[in-house]
Amino acid sequence: MLRPLRSITLLLAALSMAYAGTGSAHHSTGMFDQAKTIKLVGTVKQFQWTNPHSWIQLDVTNEAGAKEEWSIEGNSPNQLIRLGWRPGTLKPGDNITLLVKPMRDGAKGGMFVEITLADGTVLKQYDR
Amino acid sequence: MSVWAAEAAAKLPDWSGAWQLRGRGESRASATNGGPAKVGERNLPPYNPAWQKKFEANAELAKQDRFPDPLSFCGIPVGYPRVLNLPDSYEFVLRPERVWILTENGPNLMRIYTDGRDHPAADLMWPTYTGDSVGHWEGDALVFDTVSIKNDGDTIFDRNGVVFSDKIHVVTRIRMTAPDTLTADVTVIDPGALTEPYKIVRQFRRIEASARVYDYACRENNRNPIDASGKTLTLGTDGRVIDLAK
Repeated sequence: MLRPLRSITLLLAALSMAYAGTGSAHHSTGMFDQAKTIKLVGTVKQFQWTNPHSWIQLDVTNEAGAKEEWSIEGNSPNQLIRLGWRPGTLKPGDNITLLVKPMRDGAKGGMFVEITLADGTVLKQYDR
Repeated sequence: MSVWAAEAAAKLPDWSGAWQLRGRGESRASATNGGPAKVGERNLPPYNPAWQKKFEANAELAKQDRFPDPLSFCGIPVGYPRVLNLPDSYEFVLRPERVWILTENGPNLMRIYTDGRDHPAADLMWPTYTGDSVGHWEGDALVFDTVSIKNDGDTIFDRNGVVFSDKIHVVTRIRMTAPDTLTADVTVIDPGALTEPYKIVRQFRRIEASARVYDYACRENNRNPIDASGKTLTLGTDGRVIDLAK
């Protein structure tokens, strides 16, 4: 069952440190706040298994009860496949939880660092 | 294959399979990443005063996230020695007369001539992204010399502002230093920008034998274009900019 997003959870700094090894993007990652990790709970609208980045379009219910779409990018399929991800890992309608480095400017975007699938499987974006 | 070629090929080390840069990937390749000849120790290039100023100006732009990275433009090689500083995997193809370094994150391909030839005459060279590389084997170490590299505005060394001049000349030594570990000792000699050679170390680990190397089409779905100010944007699926900050 989909849990509504009550608030964007800022996790402890210690958790952020665990992901200090930034991904290897094809662009600057300066737009992401590396010091913050937020938790997004939502429903997959689309999973783009593409280069130079994969993208998860996630429908999230905000505090006001309204649905909003987030654009969350991750590493290339070339890297994700070596970490256990598959092109079919996510399908529209899947309920997932994402840990995300959010955009600094508050836009509904970010970079995912870890995903928990509906069956409890956890996949990461980095192997370090 | 001639007897000579077969014998020469048999002497080459086994660098087969796919490899991955150890440690932080490209986006964290700070000005101080790599450092001198000790892995984990960091320093800045020994710039002369004019290039120190240039570096500081770049670093300030990088701090504002407005230091454009040619890699983000999709389709342009990253140049040497940044070729040794990429995400995704690497392959090293060794033949007696030539070595190829193939990067999955493309388009990047280094050709290193090891057949005894020298660099071309000056009138036959012009600056290119990967330059001209000639080398030889010293036991199990590949040693090569790279000149005629496009620089100073065309390529960058990393996203934190490190750049070199068009006088750059790079000497690289790659050998297996531990099982499944390749170490590249890179010496940047740049009388245009540096007061002394700048040494960088890169290490690569061999990834599992079953790993495949894939297509990498940077323009397939590039939702992070760079605007005129050098800022990296983020696009929604409809192609519209989702950034809130200008």
